[in-house]
Amino acid sequence: MTTSAIIQTIVVLGIVAVALVYVLRRVSKTLRGHDKCDCGCGCGKNCKNKKF
Amino acid sequence: MAIEQHDNKTTNKTRLLDNEPVGMTVQVVRVMGDGAFRQRLLEMGFVRGAQVTVLKNAPLKDPVEYMIMGSHISLRHSEAAQVEVTDKDAEFCDMEDAFNGIVETEVAGVDPMADNVLRVALVGNPNCGKTSLFNNVTGAKEKVGNYGGVTVDSKEGWFTIGGRKVQLVDLPGTYSLTEYSPEEMYVRTYIRDNRPDAILNIVDAGNLERNLYLTTQIMDMNIPMVIALNMWDELEKSGDKLDIEMMSRLLGARMVPVTAYNGHGVKEVLQATMEAIDESEQETKHHNVNYGTLIEDSLKELGDMCPQLDRYTVLKIIENDQHALALLDNQDNAANVKIAAAEMRQRIERDYNDDIVSIITDLKYGFVRGALAEALTPNPDRATGETKPGYSFDRLLTNRWLALPILLVLMWLMFEATFTLGAYPQEWIEKGVGLFGEWIGNAMPDGILKDLIVDGIIAGVGGVLVFLPQILILFFFISLLEDSGYMARAAFIVDRIMHRVGLHGKSFIPYLIGFGCGVPAIMATRTLENRRDRLVTILTIPFMSCSARLPAYLLLVAAFFTAKQGLILMSIYLIGILVAALTAIIMSKTFLKHDKTQFVMELPPYRKPTARNATIHMWSKGKQYLQKMATVILAASIIVWALGYFPRHEGQTPQEQIENSYMGMMGKAIEPVVAPLGFNWQMGVSVLTGAAAKEIVVSTMGVLYTGESDADEESAPLKEKLQTATKPNGEHVFDPIVAYSFMLFILLYFPCIAALAAIRREAGTKWMVFEIFYTTAVAWLVSFIFYQVARLI
Repeated sequence: MTTSAIIQTIVVLGIVAVALVYVLRRVSKTLRGHDKCDCGCGCGKNCKNKKF
Repeated sequence: MAIEQHDNKTTNKTRLLDNEPVGMTVQVVRVMGDGAFRQRLLEMGFVRGAQVTVLKNAPLKDPVEYMIMGSHISLRHSEAAQVEVTDKDAEFCDMEDAFNGIVETEVAGVDPMADNVLRVALVGNPNCGKTSLFNNVTGAKEKVGNYGGVTVDSKEGWFTIGGRKVQLVDLPGTYSLTEYSPEEMYVRTYIRDNRPDAILNIVDAGNLERNLYLTTQIMDMNIPMVIALNMWDELEKSGDKLDIEMMSRLLGARMVPVTAYNGHGVKEVLQATMEAIDESEQETKHHNVNYGTLIEDSLKELGDMCPQLDRYTVLKIIENDQHALALLDNQDNAANVKIAAAEMRQRIERDYNDDIVSIITDLKYGFVRGALAEALTPNPDRATGETKPGYSFDRLLTNRWLALPILLVLMWLMFEATFTLGAYPQEWIEKGVGLFGEWIGNAMPDGILKDLIVDGIIAGVGGVLVFLPQILILFFFISLLEDSGYMARAAFIVDRIMHRVGLHGKSFIPYLIGFGCGVPAIMATRTLENRRDRLVTILTIPFMSCSARLPAYLLLVAAFFTAKQGLILMSIYLIGILVAALTAIIMSKTFLKHDKTQFVMELPPYRKPTARNATIHMWSKGKQYLQKMATVILAASIIVWALGYFPRHEGQTPQEQIENSYMGMMGKAIEPVVAPLGFNWQMGVSVLTGAAAKEIVVSTMGVLYTGESDADEESAPLKEKLQTATKPNGEHVFDPIVAYSFMLFILLYFPCIAALAAIRREAGTKWMVFEIFYTTAVAWLVSFIFYQVARLI
């Protein structure tokens, strides 16, 4: 394997890793998040107007 | 106030609104039921003593169009049955008796520049011209912000006046500031938490009675307010006369006539707003609705117990509003305040012999009516029950016989323009992306990086870009339909059909678009105001067979069905519709149950749409699409590419490469799962790669069976290969049963990445994940039942 091919492989794997991390972070953010009330008031999980 | 007593049953003197014939004008006695639906009807003017005229039945007999306070409202029969009415001349109540004038509250001076920003909030009813005014003032530079998921949008923009830079916030349109709907909660929380330096209350001058109801609630918030009498030209045309000076005096707020779409009066209303802000630096006397001695005394008593709360919140505490009560939680005397409020509530309800929500709504409307009786002179030539100008097109567009054909023609035109007209720029973009990929391919030396850039990134981003023309054209049309007022009519016409599956009439248009492409269809659900309706519609749109699945059907139908090919193809589409309807029914009856606010719909007067607004709307949606979706698509495309590319083995054919890739391994791993449906591992891989885009199902089969990655539905070798492909035991892989089972799976299984990203954007990641599992489970089950039953037969 040439040096150029090695560098290319590292760059590509890096890009794939970034894409994977991006998608996983999105997923984990959702899993960590709480059930937000959809009433729109923005006061979070303690919202007493629990909608939907 | 003379109020006749009524028990819970309908008395002889009263009737139910749904029994009234077309053309009849009656008087509202009360709205039965409770919760959001009742509140919404009250807000829309169905208060004691209001006159309602039955205008017409929808072409399918339900819903019914009513006129109340000059507004046209659509109610289903079942909802109209909740409204008790009596003869229009019956003297059981005089609403003007509820007019007690105003009380004045002293408000301390504030420094509008305390937070270094001058902020003006635009507040008004839906469809009163707020966005027109906003765009007129700020130009097309608004920033679209999304809050609380995607339920509520608010826009922020800037304008400069007298050398001062001011932030203008366009809040969602709302009929009131109660706690029953997301937009109401959003507006009221925004005002409470951000305390804008002034509120610019936009009211439809042609419909003052209903619009000023919201004004009475804003008045209680004790924030400087200016009222823009929008669509002033329509009021003048109607022949009504308004004494602006007297009305301003009564409401304690400047009123400025405005015609937002042509900019008339906009400068004056902004100037008046700045003057109101400047005056608020000193102590001012603020006007509030006088609710009568009993309620005013209660407000004072409770206000003294919690001096940090404004009059609006104190009134809401008396009304037992849960959000207002929650504000007391950190207060030492919270328990005492709640007990006192409950006692006051009971006393008021006993005294007025009604529930607190109706009492306050009646009193607010009473105030508005009293004020209008002083300042507004209606056109003496207009008879009771006669519609105002702007509704004449309804004679044709909601006509019993013509409404449905006209709707179908208009939908066909929109569909054609989106997908046929959009196909040209789509093709140019495809070619452009192809040429760019080719150019990069030629410029770069062969290698893994080139493969990623050309096959992963360029092809992935190209996959996003190709949808852009369709998105722009579609939203241009949707904007025209919305601005003209026809969208509400379309919902009115088809509501009965959609209601059968637990949805609102407005879901019809996104479904129709879904036959072309799921991405714009999912985005088009934004026209639905109710989140539950939007969710059910979004989650069932993927069952409408999009045009990207068509190549796979064409290939399989041509290869395995010699007769009745059209019928076979149509049956696939019909099964999709059936599954969507069943899903909607199941969802509506289980975890996405009805929220009653959705049923009441206003039919606005027809207005001339402006090219400027349509273009702004179109561009705003297009920009959001590019910005938000490209990130997700890009990442997902790179991952899909990597799965099909790795691990690398030298000297392999494309077939061997994909067979030995992670994607191929996944195909083989899922083979036991898809085998009961009659599929082999190649079909499993096609289904997996089809996740990126449904067209890829055919090209993957091309690679796997012929070694051609550019195979399409016309590829004769692929058709022959499929017909002759055999299993290791010598049996044919495909026969008509397997082909149909495969088509069913392609029809129903999870949507492409672009559609999933649209679902994530519109409904959230949780629902996107749900959709992946739900659609795949449905697809598997339907294909399994079909395959196994067909094999037995």
